Amino acid sequence: MIHVRQLTKSYADLRRGQFVALAGISFDAVPGEIYGLLGPNGAGKTSALRILSTVLRPTSGQATVNGYDVLTQPSLVRHQIGFVSTNTAVYDRMTAWEMVEYFGRLYGLSPEPLRERMEQIFDRLQMREIRDLLGAKMSTGMKQKVSIARALVHDPPVLIFDEATAGLDVLVARALLKTVGQLRDQGKCIIFSTHIMREVERLCDRVAIMHRGHILAEGTLAELRDRYHESDFEELFFALISQHDGESSRAASYMAAL
Amino acid sequence: MSWTNVKLIFLRELRDQLRDRRTLFTIAVLPMLLYPLLGMSFLQVQQFLRENASKVRVVGSEYLPHDPELVVDGQISPDLGDTKQRELLELTVEQAEGQSAEAIRTAAEQSIRAGDYDAVIYFPPDFAERLGQFRSRLPESEPETVSAEEVPQPVILLDTAREKSKVAGLRVEEILRRWRERIVEENLRVREVPVAAARPFEVVSTDLSEDSRRRAAIWSKILPFILMVWALTGAFYPAIDLCAGEKERGTLETLLSSPAQRSEIVWGKLLTVATFSMATALLNLAITTGMATFVVTRLDQMGGLPVNVGRPPIMALFWLVLALPPIAALFSALSLAIAAFARSSKEGQYYLMPLLMFSLPLMMLPMLPATELDLGFSLIPITGLILLLRTLIEGQYLEALRYALPVIGVTAVCCLLAIRWAVDQFNNESVLFRESERLDLGLWLRHLVRDRLDTPTAGEALLCGVLLLVIRFFSNFAIPQPQTWPEVVTTTLILQIALIATPACVMAIMLTRKPLVTLSLVRPSFGMTVPAAAALAICLHPAMHWLDMAIRTLYPIHPSVVEQLEKFSLSVRTEPLWQVILLVGLAPAICEELAFRGFILSGLRRMGHKWGAIVLTSVFFGLAHGLLQQSLATAIIGTVIGYVVVKTGSLWPGMLYHFCHNSLSVLQSRITPDVVESWPILKAIFVPAEGGEGFVYSIPATVVLISAGVGIALWLKSLPYHRSAEERLQEALDHQVPLASVRG
Repeated sequence: MIHVRQLTKSYADLRRGQFVALAGISFDAVPGEIYGLLGPNGAGKTSALRILSTVLRPTSGQATVNGYDVLTQPSLVRHQIGFVSTNTAVYDRMTAWEMVEYFGRLYGLSPEPLRERMEQIFDRLQMREIRDLLGAKMSTGMKQKVSIARALVHDPPVLIFDEATAGLDVLVARALLKTVGQLRDQGKCIIFSTHIMREVERLCDRVAIMHRGHILAEGTLAELRDRYHESDFEELFFALISQHDGESSRAASYMAAL
Repeated sequence: MSWTNVKLIFLRELRDQLRDRRTLFTIAVLPMLLYPLLGMSFLQVQQFLRENASKVRVVGSEYLPHDPELVVDGQISPDLGDTKQRELLELTVEQAEGQSAEAIRTAAEQSIRAGDYDAVIYFPPDFAERLGQFRSRLPESEPETVSAEEVPQPVILLDTAREKSKVAGLRVEEILRRWRERIVEENLRVREVPVAAARPFEVVSTDLSEDSRRRAAIWSKILPFILMVWALTGAFYPAIDLCAGEKERGTLETLLSSPAQRSEIVWGKLLTVATFSMATALLNLAITTGMATFVVTRLDQMGGLPVNVGRPPIMALFWLVLALPPIAALFSALSLAIAAFARSSKEGQYYLMPLLMFSLPLMMLPMLPATELDLGFSLIPITGLILLLRTLIEGQYLEALRYALPVIGVTAVCCLLAIRWAVDQFNNESVLFRESERLDLGLWLRHLVRDRLDTPTAGEALLCGVLLLVIRFFSNFAIPQPQTWPEVVTTTLILQIALIATPACVMAIMLTRKPLVTLSLVRPSFGMTVPAAAALAICLHPAMHWLDMAIRTLYPIHPSVVEQLEKFSLSVRTEPLWQVILLVGLAPAICEELAFRGFILSGLRRMGHKWGAIVLTSVFFGLAHGLLQQSLATAIIGTVIGYVVVKTGSLWPGMLYHFCHNSLSVLQSRITPDVVESWPILKAIFVPAEGGEGFVYSIPATVVLISAGVGIALWLKSLPYHRSAEERLQEALDHQVPLASVRG
C-alpha cells in the first residue's frame, strides 16, 4: 500500500549548507496495519509524512501510495489518503458540518452520497452537538474530531496521523486511539507518528524508530524486544538513540582528526 | 485543472471573508461612513470660508477723500461692490488723531496677532488733500510732468501667515482696486478725456471646449486614479488574510493536503481577491462620484464654483467598469504572490509598502502635466491603462484604438505573469514553509557559490536580465555618441563584449557548476538543425522586415532619433562589407546570444514552463535594445531564436539564426539598382521601395519564403527535445490521469 525507498529530504540552510531532514529512509506499510513512526522531536517524522501527503516534495528517492507516485501524481495520491496532523487546523469561520462537506466536495463526492457518508461519520465520532458550531468556538478535542471527520469523509484506503494526540487531554486522546484502532480493523493502512512510547505499545503493529533523519530499527514490538534483548520499550528506545548519537560524534571527531 | 474545485474554493473563501467583520468593515462600512463625513466637512469648511466676514480696521478716516466715497455709514460704499461683498468686510473706522505711522503699525501688528482684526488699512495724513491738489493741477499741467508720487500711499497691514488675514487682504485689495478705478475715471473726467481712453481694448478669452468635454477632462484625471488605488487596497487585505492568515491559523496545510491542485487553490483564491478588489473599487467609485455630485451641486447653489466640474459623465463610468476586471486581476495576482511569501498577517502588512512604492509612481505618472498616450507610455503597465482610460473618457476613440493593442497586450502579459508567479509561489515549498533566517549578506553570497547548481536558478537569471538593463541604462550616459566609423566599431564592441557577454559569462562561471551547459555551448541534438536554423532565418526575414516597417508606420520614430540613426545606417551602407558584417552580424550573434539565450533562458527554464521562459527572455532581449520601436520587433525575433535554442538544445543554431538575420538586414540595406542589375535573381525577390530609397521584399517572395519558414518551424516542432527537470515534472503534473478514469 505504501512503499518508501531511499527517501531523502534536505533543505538549503544559509549557515549549515544543506540540512538533511531525511537521510534515505525506506519502509513499507500494508492494509490492516498501523505502522508507527517513533522518534524524538526533529527526527524527520513530520518531513516524511508531509512528503507522503504531497505537501512537500522529496529531494530524492521514491514513495508511492496505493501505486501512485507522490512526486508526479500528487493529486491522485491525495485522493488515497486522509491526513491529520498538528499542522492541519480547522477553519475558524466554518461550522463542523460545512468544513467536512467542503472537503467532501473537493474529493469529488456528489451531494447525496456525501450527506449520507457525513451522517454516518458524525454519528460514529459523536459530533452531533458540534454540527453547527463555528471552528473558532470549538475546544481542542472538538477540533481534532472535525479533522478526523475531514480525513475520513472520502473513505480513503490510507490514513496518516502525525502527532495527532498532541495537546489533547487523556479522555479525548483515548477516544482518538480507539478510533484509530477501529479504522485498522476496517482494513485501512495507517501511519501513526508519535513520540509517546505508550501509544506505540498500545496501538502499533509495526514500528520504525527514527532519529536525525535515519530509521534506526524497524519491526514488530516483539521482534525489536527480541533483537535488542530489552523488554522495556522505553529503555530500548533510549539505548538506540544514545548508541546512534555516540557513533555520530565518534565519526565526527574521526573526520575532524583526519 | 478542475473548475468545479476552483468554484468550490472560491465560494468557500468568499463566504469566509464575508463572515469576517474586519474585512466587511474596511471594504464596505468604512467608505460608506467616511465619504459622506468628508463631503460634509468639506462643505462646512467652504461655508465657513465664504460666510465669515473679515474684521478690518480703517485708520485715518479723517484723511479719506469724499469724491468718490470709500466708506459710507461705517460700511464700504455701495458703488464699490455688491451687498454680499460689502457684508464680508466688517469695518471699524477710526481717526488717526495725529499718531505716527510707526505707532499705528505697531498697534496693527498687535491687534492682528491677538485676532482682534484680520487686516488694518491706514490712510496717511493729508491723503485726501494731496489727492485733491493732484486732481486740480491735472487740466493745466503737461502730461510728462504729472507724477503720482506726490500723493502718499495708503497701506494695508496684514499677517500672511494667517489664512484669515490673507483672505481679508484679498477682499480689501479688490475693494481698493475698484475705488482707485473710480478715482481714475473722476480724474479723466476732470481732464475731459473719455473714460474709454484708459482702456482702449479688453482681452476676451473664449474657451472653445464644450462644457461636457471640459468636465470629462477633469474627471478623466481623477476617476482612474481612484479606481486604481481602491482596486489595489481592496485586493491587498483579503490576499493577506487568504495566504498569510491561513498559514497563521494552520489551515493552509489542510487545504494543501486536499485533492485540490495548487493552481486550483490559487485560482479560487484569486477570484475571491479579485471579487473583493472590484467590489471595493466600484463601491468607492460610486460613493465618490455620488458625494462629488452632491458637493458640487451644493457649492453651485452656494454661489458658483471657480471651475465648472459638474457631475462625472456616464460614459466615463462605463469605461472604468470595463477596465476594472483586468486591473483587479493584476493587483489580485500580485497581492496573492506577495502575500504567499509572508509568514504572518503582520509580516504581510509590511509588504504593502513595497507594492505601493512600485505601483503608486505608475499611477501618478499619468497625472503629470503633458503626459499623453503614446507608444512609450502605452507599454508601461498601469500607466498605459490609465492613459488609455483617460483618452476614452475624453472621447478620443481613434487615438485610443491606435494604442489599445499595446496597452491590452502589456496588461494581459502582466496579468498572466503575475498569476503564474502566484501559482509558482504556492508550488514553492521554501515559500510556503519559510522559516525566519538571520540576514547575513556574507553568508548568503557564500551560499550562492557553495550551494550552486548545474544551471542557474530562475532568480539568478532574472537578476542577470535586470543587471544587463541597468548596465545598458548607465552606459548610455557614460559612452559618448560615436561620430566616426572607428568610434562606432569601438563603442559597439565595448557594449557587446564588456557589457553584455562578460557579465553573463562571469555569472555562469561563478554561480553554476556547469557553465558550458548553462550557456548551452553543447552540440545540438540533431546536426540538421544547424542549417535549418540558417534557412529559417532567411525564410522569416521578410516577415520580420514587414513587421518592423508596420511598427514604424504605426508608431513613428521621433525625427531627431531618425537623424541619429541615419548616421549609423549610412555607415552600414557605405563602410567595407566584411567589417559591417563582423560588427553588426557576428558580434551581437555571439555576445547577445550568450547572455540572453545562454544564461537567462537556462535559468528561466527552471520555472518549468518552456514558453514562459522564452517569452520572458525575449522581453529582456527587446528592452536591452533601447529604442521602443526596435524593442518590439527584436522581442519577436528573440522569441523565434529562443524556440530554436530550446528545440535544438544548443546555442549554436541560435547564434547562426541571429547572425543570418542581422547580416541579411545589412545586405538588404546595401541593395542598389546596380546590384540588382548584376544579380538578376534579386529582381524576383526585391522591388524598389515605394516613396523611399532602397529595396523591399516583393509580395510573392514574402509569401513563398514565409510558407517555407512555417514548414521548417513545423519540422522543428516535431523533433524531440531535452526538457529540464522542472519541465519534465510540470509535464507529469499536467498529465495526471483524471480521477474519474482512475475510479472508473
